[in-house]
Amino acid sequence: MAEMEAGGLQAGARPRLARFVFSGSLAWKLFSYSVLVIGAAVSLVPFVWMVSTSLMSLGEAMGGRWVPGELRFSNYLKAWEGAQFSHFLWNSVKITVITLAGELVASVLAAYAFARMMFPGRNLIFGFLLSTMMIPGMVTMIPNLLTVTWLGRVGPIPWIDNWPALTIPFMGSVFSIFLLRQFFAQIPEELFDAAKIDGAGHLRMLLQLVLPLSTAPLLVIVVLSFIGAWNALAWPLLVTNTPEWLPIAVGLYNFVDDGGSEVQLIMAGSVITILPILIMYFFTQRQFTESIARSGLKG
Amino acid sequence: MHTARTDVNRIGTWFAGRRGRHLREAITAYLFLVPALLLIFIFGIFPVGFALYVSLHKWLIIRDDFVGIKNYIDAIDNLAYFGGFLIGLGALVGAYLLLRRLMAEALGHGHRPWLLAAPGALYAAVGFFFMRWLFFQLPEFLDIATKMRGLERTRELFIQLLSDAFHAETVYPHWQQFILALVLALLASAAALALWRNPLNFTYQFNFAGIWLGLAAGLGLLKFTFDAVNQAYELALESGADPGIWPQLTMITSGILILVLAWYVWRSAENQDRPLAFVLRILASLLLMMAAVMLIIEIPAIVAAGDRDLWGGLRVTIFFSLGIVPVQLSIALFLSVLLFQRLKGSDVFRVIYFLPYVTPAVASATVFRVMFSDRPSAPINRLITSLGFEPQLWLRQSKGIFSILATMFRIEDYPQNIIPDWVSPELSSQLAEWLVGPSQALLVVIMLSVWTFVGYNVVIYLAGLGNIPSEMTEAAEIDGANRWAVFRYITFPLLSPTTYFLSLIAVMGTFKAFNTIWVLREAQGPAFATTRVISVAIFEEFFVKTRYGYASAMAFVLFAIILTLTVINNRVQGSRVFYG
Repeated sequence: MAEMEAGGLQAGARPRLARFVFSGSLAWKLFSYSVLVIGAAVSLVPFVWMVSTSLMSLGEAMGGRWVPGELRFSNYLKAWEGAQFSHFLWNSVKITVITLAGELVASVLAAYAFARMMFPGRNLIFGFLLSTMMIPGMVTMIPNLLTVTWLGRVGPIPWIDNWPALTIPFMGSVFSIFLLRQFFAQIPEELFDAAKIDGAGHLRMLLQLVLPLSTAPLLVIVVLSFIGAWNALAWPLLVTNTPEWLPIAVGLYNFVDDGGSEVQLIMAGSVITILPILIMYFFTQRQFTESIARSGLKG
Repeated sequence: MHTARTDVNRIGTWFAGRRGRHLREAITAYLFLVPALLLIFIFGIFPVGFALYVSLHKWLIIRDDFVGIKNYIDAIDNLAYFGGFLIGLGALVGAYLLLRRLMAEALGHGHRPWLLAAPGALYAAVGFFFMRWLFFQLPEFLDIATKMRGLERTRELFIQLLSDAFHAETVYPHWQQFILALVLALLASAAALALWRNPLNFTYQFNFAGIWLGLAAGLGLLKFTFDAVNQAYELALESGADPGIWPQLTMITSGILILVLAWYVWRSAENQDRPLAFVLRILASLLLMMAAVMLIIEIPAIVAAGDRDLWGGLRVTIFFSLGIVPVQLSIALFLSVLLFQRLKGSDVFRVIYFLPYVTPAVASATVFRVMFSDRPSAPINRLITSLGFEPQLWLRQSKGIFSILATMFRIEDYPQNIIPDWVSPELSSQLAEWLVGPSQALLVVIMLSVWTFVGYNVVIYLAGLGNIPSEMTEAAEIDGANRWAVFRYITFPLLSPTTYFLSLIAVMGTFKAFNTIWVLREAQGPAFATTRVISVAIFEEFFVKTRYGYASAMAFVLFAIILTLTVINNRVQGSRVFYG
């Protein structure tokens, strides 16, 4: 924008084409585009290579070809069956959905209280919660394993090798509370005043006024939750001993370790793992990047 | 009947009127907060204290002997003394700052709240007794699970065991003391509130409690440190061995601090009118200086014989962050400045750059693992052979990249030939470990990280660029500044908070980069040791060797490093930084 206006000041001085070329605009644009394209190529090459290798035969994959001679979609079938991807994907979906249910209820209630209600100690508690965001996961992992084991031993249901250990520790998310609170606080006061005149209590205002307006941050939390579940490796390795509840990352990790030489199958497995997340990202990318730009989350 | 109804009415009036509405709202709000706070407390906050507790035990799967600070000394050699010393100083400084703020506030309101220090002290005692009770109670609670093993799991049994744990001999007196202190503190506090009705009353009490706690913690830690340092010195005197670097560093730091204090006392003497005060201050300052010089004169021998794993992990981490941060940030800055011109299709580019960031780390690590395989026909090796280079081992190569480059340029005997002869052999072998640079395997991990995080940094930079008022750049361009000048003198300086934030995030990320390295581990063979950053070292200690106590101690060292970085950042930026 800026340079177009700056150029506009000299509009009368030279003929248009000459101005365009000599002011460096064309050269500069070409340069910009070529740098951007190189950057995009570097970002995309691993994906392209992964997809193309996943369609090759073993010989082609080991021979370092870039384009498969014949598209072998059967690799996907083999990987799918060989590594029980359907089982692991379903596990990850189940884990995410259970986590999300708990996380959303807890965070929405807490965020509403922080954003729209007055009570003693509000800022103190909120500040304290924010300060806990910098505790690294490695510190809490060991005690949490002990806690979870203890809860499983004394409680009514086992936690290890079962859904509680994989989901409940992630339901209390300070980041979700923070994101939602910022959003809830921006909703105009007039809407609340109108609802109050109608005699609405806090719970009704939350359910009928706030939530319908907050689809964007809720969507972001959903996507982040899926990404988190797809990335989870260290914690599931600790709390599961049988394949029954193993999530997708561990499934792929074991598949890679077992079938190390069958490159084309490994790549097919990687594509299967990545695909759901990428589809989800493409549909929500605008809200997603905006919320990241606003809050600077996740190192 | 009659009285019961008036009671109901009285309770009813609590919730009526303006005050009643406030009370009702507060109660609803607390109810709203309960689920989230409960979860965050159990799985987010409580573990920090518990990790500290675990770290003080040997702890192999089941709870074991108390070994005190030994795990820390294992992990970081005597650095633990130094850490304890610093934290003690920090607590004292915190108490001082709190006192100063309290005094300023009291002065501003014309209050004299000094008597409130008494209930404050009682509250501090409550905190202390509570911690002590928790410390003795925790093992009893943990043993419940062991006691229940083999028995039928019933609610009655659990409650019975819970009550047993509660009344255990080692626990009960501490619990009683805690309750006693709590009752006393509440009584004193209530009395103070009744005698002096002021909304700030409780704030003062609370601040005093903080000051007392800070003082006690600081003095206690300092005493502990100096006892430990004294012991180390005595041991060194007896055995004739070197006491190690950290006790000495503690001495030197305290020496320097005392020197600073002496300087302040000296300066304050200059402003004294009365001769006696002047002389006394000068004398005090001289005494302090002498003490300081005595502490500093003990010049250390630079020998750090700590835990090889942790130190190796730290070196790898430093290589890792040094490799990542500048490259990642400059690429991201360049790309985002280009994108910010709002060329056609820039949204598409942004989406593409961001793709690697959302890709699950296990999958991208798998792809990199195959692309950077050591087979000559692997994609990257074919690329570099077509450019005329030798195929490389990549992930399996544990040699440092500087020494590989040296071999390539036929420089013989690389790291040794630039270390001067007069350096002691011990130091020279340590220097050599640094001079060979990050291993080629680590280089691949660095490239993977850069590839992953550039898009994230681009998004944040774009947000930062959007916050720069466009009038500034436009004005500069009208004044005839070219693109480079605008960038160098306007855009870049105004982006510096963003840059600082991103570099901090990147450094944190290197501490956390666990998934990637763990996935690449199998493919690496012996080269794995050269990519084992500190978080991986912790996980290994914990998962493979099941040494919980030791792993916890290492995790706490990591926590301390991150905490320090964040505090420094907050000081510099004067604002909060969020990351997760």
